[in-house]
Amino acid sequence: MEVLSVKNINKGYEKFQLRNVSFCVEGGCIMGFIGRNGAGKTTTMKSMLNLVHPDSGAIQFFGMDLQAHEFEIKQRISFIFGAAQYYSQSKLKTIADVYRRFYKTWDEALYQTYLSRFELDSEKKIKQLSQGMSIKFALSLALSHHAELLILDEPTSGLDPVSRDELLTIFEDIVDHEGASIFFSTHITSDLDKNADDITYIKNGEIFASEKRESFVDSYRIVEGSATLLPQLLKKKIIGFHERKGEFSGLLRKEDANDTQNLKISTADLESIMVCIERKETDEEPVL
Amino acid sequence: MKNLFYKEFKLSVHPTCYLFLLLATMLLIPNYPYYVVFFYQTLGIFFIFLNGNTTNDITFTTLLPIRKRDAVKARFYTVIIFELLQIIVTIPFAILRNVLNPAENLAGMEANIALFGLVFMMFGIFNIVFLPMFYKTAYKTGIPYLISCAAMILFVIIAEVAINLLPTLKVTLDTTNTVYFPQQMIVFLIGIILSVLLTAFAYAMSVRQFEKLDL
Repeated sequence: MEVLSVKNINKGYEKFQLRNVSFCVEGGCIMGFIGRNGAGKTTTMKSMLNLVHPDSGAIQFFGMDLQAHEFEIKQRISFIFGAAQYYSQSKLKTIADVYRRFYKTWDEALYQTYLSRFELDSEKKIKQLSQGMSIKFALSLALSHHAELLILDEPTSGLDPVSRDELLTIFEDIVDHEGASIFFSTHITSDLDKNADDITYIKNGEIFASEKRESFVDSYRIVEGSATLLPQLLKKKIIGFHERKGEFSGLLRKEDANDTQNLKISTADLESIMVCIERKETDEEPVL
Repeated sequence: MKNLFYKEFKLSVHPTCYLFLLLATMLLIPNYPYYVVFFYQTLGIFFIFLNGNTTNDITFTTLLPIRKRDAVKARFYTVIIFELLQIIVTIPFAILRNVLNPAENLAGMEANIALFGLVFMMFGIFNIVFLPMFYKTAYKTGIPYLISCAAMILFVIIAEVAINLLPTLKVTLDTTNTVYFPQQMIVFLIGIILSVLLTAFAYAMSVRQFEKLDL
């Protein structure tokens, strides 16, 4: 079942445009939303929540139109945009006391579990938290009312590797045991290698791909080798070609990677795919 | 709405709003432009918005499961409550002032029921100018407050000049003589009606502005 469907979202700014952004999130899945800084991730997510008004397009949660059922939908979802950067002089317990009232499904015991799991002291003020701790607090709030869909903008940035791993494990628990879905943006693509079922990749305001992570990753190969051994015809097919000291590297579509004698072919990961696809043309010719 | 209201008082209201309620005692000053007491409360309200920028109040509010217009409505209720509280708290001091010192106020309107009618109008003007201007950006507070102050001052000047130039108004409104209570009551009621109308209009405009805004 589709828990979120985004269809043909368009939003124009003076110097940036979201163009026909479409994707859907299935129930019980983790979808990673990737793209470089400024690609349109946050604008897309804000559009999904009515915080930014798209020029056109349709957004549905649980089969319900966002415009008509915003209140009901927002009870069933949770969303955060980075760290808890509000009311810096207020204590965590004061903010939680306000936040919890808005959710009929608030689970105080679960919230307390997250506080102790993240080693958060509810007597502390927001300003006393580090960036990582403040993300953990924002997450503790978002995770404690049994949301059916979590929409998280950069939830892992600013966290140390151990905390990131811990958070990703929590994501798995939520999906596996509660049947919820998670849609989270990140530019730390290795987070997605661990547990994302699907990925949606946005590039310059357009959806470049939205599919199963495995099939997306499997559709590319990394190619490396000596530049002298590279046939000209194959060179033209390489995405993000990069050459240094006679050695080159780049990305090939899987179907182009068959006839590559004397070149090293290896499986790609999200990071190398994204880097090669985003690599600017200027990299092909030395600037200096 | 109850929850948003709780949030307003727990996280958003600036302490000066409570502090300025104490300025009701300024009505005991024998000669004083009593509008000033109510001016201060608009400053307290301005601090709620100014402080909201510092605390990222709007950022937190938009994370809640609410519609944008609900956030505007809760804030309007908060503003109205402090305006009403200021009037309610001031009334006993107005009575006390006239009991303790029946002499004429040489610095402006007498502390009578007509004054409160004019204050209602002044608050209505503040609401219609400041609030929609703020919700146009949900960030800029300084210029909207300056303009709303200018509008309130202009209103007070016009009211004072009219009362002092027109003998009928001077005799009936600028007095504590209870004979003129019916006339003063009319001003009071007109003040309430105007204030309600202006605030309702301000709410409709603010919601429209805030809904349009990309956050």
